[in-house]
Amino acid sequence: MTHLISKAEKAKMQNPFIQFFKFVWLNIKIIGIVGHGHGGTRK
Amino acid sequence: MTKIVVLGAGISGHTAASHLRRKLSKKHEVLVVSPNSNYQWIPSNIWVGIGRMNREDTVFPLEPLYKRKGIGFIQAKVVTFHPEGDSDEEMPFVMVEYTSGDKKGRQGKVTYDFLINATGPKLAFDMTEGLLPGTNKAYSVCTYDHAEHAWAGLKALIEKLKSSDERAKILIGTGHPKATCQGAAFEYILNVEKELVRYGVRNKVDITWLSNEYLLGDFGMDGMLLTYGKEVMKSSEMVEMVFTDRNIRWIAGAGITKVEEGKAHYENLAGEYKTEEFDFAMLIPAFSGHGFKAYDKGNKDITEKLFKGFMVVDADYTPRPYEEWTVQDWPETYQNPSYPNIFAPGIAFAPPHSISKPRKSKNGTDIFPSPPRTGMPSGITAKLVADNIIDSVKHGKISLHHKGSMGNMGAACIASAGYGAFQGNGISMTTFPIVPDYKKYSKTGGRDIQKTFGDIGLAGHWVKLSLHYAFLYKAKMKPFWWLIPE
Ligand SMILES: Cc1cc2nc3c(=O)[nH]c(=O)nc-3n(C[C@H](O)[C@H](O)[C@H](O)COP(=O)(O)OP(=O)(O)OC[C@H]3O[C@@H](n4cnc5c(N)ncnc54)[C@H](O)[C@@H]3O)c2cc1C
Repeated sequence: MTHLISKAEKAKMQNPFIQFFKFVWLNIKIIGIVGHGHGGTRK
Repeated sequence: MTKIVVLGAGISGHTAASHLRRKLSKKHEVLVVSPNSNYQWIPSNIWVGIGRMNREDTVFPLEPLYKRKGIGFIQAKVVTFHPEGDSDEEMPFVMVEYTSGDKKGRQGKVTYDFLINATGPKLAFDMTEGLLPGTNKAYSVCTYDHAEHAWAGLKALIEKLKSSDERAKILIGTGHPKATCQGAAFEYILNVEKELVRYGVRNKVDITWLSNEYLLGDFGMDGMLLTYGKEVMKSSEMVEMVFTDRNIRWIAGAGITKVEEGKAHYENLAGEYKTEEFDFAMLIPAFSGHGFKAYDKGNKDITEKLFKGFMVVDADYTPRPYEEWTVQDWPETYQNPSYPNIFAPGIAFAPPHSISKPRKSKNGTDIFPSPPRTGMPSGITAKLVADNIIDSVKHGKISLHHKGSMGNMGAACIASAGYGAFQGNGISMTTFPIVPDYKKYSKTGGRDIQKTFGDIGLAGHWVKLSLHYAFLYKAKMKPFWWLIPE
C-alpha cells in the first residue's frame, strides 16, 4: 500500500525552525557518507 | 616538462585541470580543450528550466580564469585520437577542430604526455525519432540553452492556462528505452508541479511521469533500500509516496521510440505499443559516446582499443548475466589498458554493464536505464585521475596509487522538489555504495543501510542551493577552493 505524507509530516517538512537543524544534520551526515571511503574493490 | 591535455571542461575535466594546476609546478603544462567557452553547473539547469535562475547564474567563462591560473585553453573539439603519433609526429596527439575565433573550422594536432578524456556524453537526441529540444512541444534541460527553451515553452503554456478554461497535459521522464539521468527528470517534474501551484494553474494540468525504470525510484541504480525516519523503505515506495502526494500519475517500464507534435509513442515491458499526448514535455535523451575514431602510428584504425561507445578503461567488460555481476567489474583507476597515459573519468568511461537489472519487452526491446554517473562520482574520479598523474609525473613512472570504484564510493543525490527560501523542498538521498554490493550487503539490497537514507523537506532545498554556490565557488578556484570536497 502506498505510504502517504500526513498533514503533520508536511508541516514539519516546511517548518523553517525544525528544518534549520535538519539542514545542519544533513550536511554533517552527507559529508560523513561521501567524504571518505572511496577506494578500490579488488585485491 | 610534462604536458597534460584535458579534453572537456565539464565537472570532471575542470576538476582534473584545477587539481593538476594546483599541485604541479608551473614547469609542467596543463591544457584544456573544450568546444564551449563556458563552464556550466549543470545541476542548476533544473531551476533555469522553471525560470527561477538565469543562465548567467549557472555559467562563467573559462578563458579568463584559466589565464589567471596558468592553465592553457583551446576552444575546440577533439575529433580523432592518435595515441602513438603518426608518420610526421613522434608524440601522441589528438586532432582537434577549432570552434571559435579565426581558426574556427580548422583542424590541428595537440600533442600530450598524459591525456584525460573527460568529454562526458553525447546527448543522443537522434536515437529517438522526432526528439529534438524545442520541437514537437518536447524540451530538454540537459544544457543551459535547452533549459532556457524549456522555460519559454512552459511559461507560454502557463500564460495560456491563466487566460483560458483549457486543460493541459505535461509529460516528463526519459525519452529513450535506455536513457539514464532519471534523477534530473525527477527533479524537474517536482519543480514544474510546484511552479504550476505557484502560478495558480495546477488544477488545470494533468502531470505524468514516464520512464524506462521497472519500478519508480530505480534511478539507474537498481533502486535502493533506505532508511526514512524510523522506517526502512524502498526508493520505489518513497517516490510513489511523493508522486501520490503531488497527484502525479506514472508510467514505468516504458521506452519512448518516437515523438510527434504533442505525442510520445512508447513500448512497455508487456510489449504493448501506446501513445501519450502532451502539451509540454521534458524528455531526457539517450546518452551515447561521441563516436570518436582512433588510429595507430601507421594510420590503422584502432578505435576498439580505445572505445566501446565510451572510452575503454580498467573495467571487466566480460559479458555475464546480471546474477554474476560484481562490484569488482567496475573500474578503479579509469586508465585505458592499451595506453597507460590515457584516462577517462566522469561520464566519458565505458561502464562494464548497467547497474539496473536489464529487462526486455515481450517484443525483445531493451527497456531499462543505463548507468548514471552523477556529478559527485564524476568529480571524485577526475580528482583521483589527476592525483595519479601528479604522482606519475613526480616519480617519473606510472603510479596508480589512488583508486575509487563506484562499488566503494558513496553518493548524495539532493533532488530539488521545489524552489523558494521557505516554500522550497528537496528530497535528499544518500547511497553507499553507488553500485550495489549484493555480496557484502546481502540483506539490505546491496547497500549499507546506515549510509543509505532518504529525507524530505525544506532543508533539502537549502542543501541543494548551498551546493550550487559552493560548487561554483570551487569551480571559480576562489581562495581555498580545494577544501570543498568533490
Ligand atoms: C539536468 C541535469 C541535472 C543534473 N543534476 C545533477 C545533480 O543534481 N547532482 C549530480 O550529482 N549530478 C547531476 N547531473 C549529472 C551531472 O551533471 C553529470 O554527472 C556531470 O555533468 C558529468 O560530468 P562530465 O564532466 O563527465 O561530463 P559533462 O559535464 O557533460 O562535460 C563534458 C565536457 O566535454 C566537453 N566536450 C564534449 N565533446 C567534446 C569534444 N569532442 N572535445 C572536447 N570536449 C568535448 C563538453 O563541452 C563539456 O565541457 C545532472 C545532469 C543533468 C543533465
